[in-house]
Amino acid sequence: MEKENKILEAIKVAFNVEGHIAREKRVMITANKDIVSSILLFCKNQQGYIHLNHMSVVDRIEDGKFELNYIIWSPTEKVTIMLKTFIDRENAEMENIDSIWDQANTYEREMREMYGIQFPGLIGRQDFALEDWDEMPPMRRDFDTHAYAEKTFYQRPGREDAKDVREELTKQSGEVIPDFAKKYSRE
Amino acid sequence: MTSNNKDKQTIVEYIQNWSRKHSLFVMAYGTGCGAIEIPATMTSRYDAERFGIRGAATPRQADVLLITGYLATKTLKRVIRVYEQMQDPKYVIGFGSCTINGGMYYDSYNTINALDRYIPVDVYINGCMPRPEAVISGFVQLQKQIAEGTANNAAKYKENLEWYRANQKKIIKNWRMPDYNW
Ligand code: SF4
Repeated sequence: MEKENKILEAIKVAFNVEGHIAREKRVMITANKDIVSSILLFCKNQQGYIHLNHMSVVDRIEDGKFELNYIIWSPTEKVTIMLKTFIDRENAEMENIDSIWDQANTYEREMREMYGIQFPGLIGRQDFALEDWDEMPPMRRDFDTHAYAEKTFYQRPGREDAKDVREELTKQSGEVIPDFAKKYSRE
Repeated sequence: MTSNNKDKQTIVEYIQNWSRKHSLFVMAYGTGCGAIEIPATMTSRYDAERFGIRGAATPRQADVLLITGYLATKTLKRVIRVYEQMQDPKYVIGFGSCTINGGMYYDSYNTINALDRYIPVDVYINGCMPRPEAVISGFVQLQKQIAEGTANNAAKYKENLEWYRANQKKIIKNWRMPDYNW
């Protein structure tokens, strides 16, 4: 765990952030949104974490937050850093980091389209994968995709008696679906 | 292709239909997961070319448009253009339950649910996904319709163009498409 400790300490000393080692070759850091780009730059320029693996969003609707994850990797140390930050769901806005990694542009355009997160200064077409979309960004959890499909597309009769596969299976096996999972069942 | 009854066909129509049914050029255009069954259908084990089924590279040379599965609203636009560019006679085969009623993507915000609201479908093949045997049996069904002279959906499309256009425009909000005067 030497390499992991080294990078974790370096970041902690420089930025005063929370972090821990999740397992071998994986360091998790949670930081305020204002210093995310500084940490990324620090890791890239001074610690050799030159590769941006992934950027992703989790919709934490219960907390009114979006969780943003930046996953970076060092080819020399072979350690992955997962940098996590939370931003407000209302008027979500995050710093644009495509000047650090060009490929971040693609991820950010997708986040903008699918979650409605704005990145000031982001250059690129508004449409990413969708075309002429004028509803709420579809990957937000408060977007009701079933209701949207019902009002937009023709529903062929005959689907009404379709059963929820999980419910039918649990009826057979006697397993109980926990409450939090029931929410996603059909009714 | 005007008569609907096998007995009423003139000898010319009969020969026309006979030759049409034995040379079905399939537009090489795949949507959804079902396209993965096409190579299996075409290659040596199932060898669809026995039935005169083979690929065509461009819409203008193709007879059959296979919609191989779920159709994203974005793709629908391209499919309509491809369909409208195809020359008569042209046929459409809907492939998999996604084209019939939405399949497992019935509640997706981004895939249409019933293909025949947007372009006329001659044959539906059900299954998720249909195996090559099912695909071939669908083609045989189509050949039967062609031989009987009942596969004239392209004419229906022209007749009911307004209805189809209205449905299409409901999905494709920003309609920037050429008009073809077939
Ligand atoms: S019917 Fe099944 S296999 Fe075909 S496109 Fe839909 S989900 Fe995929």
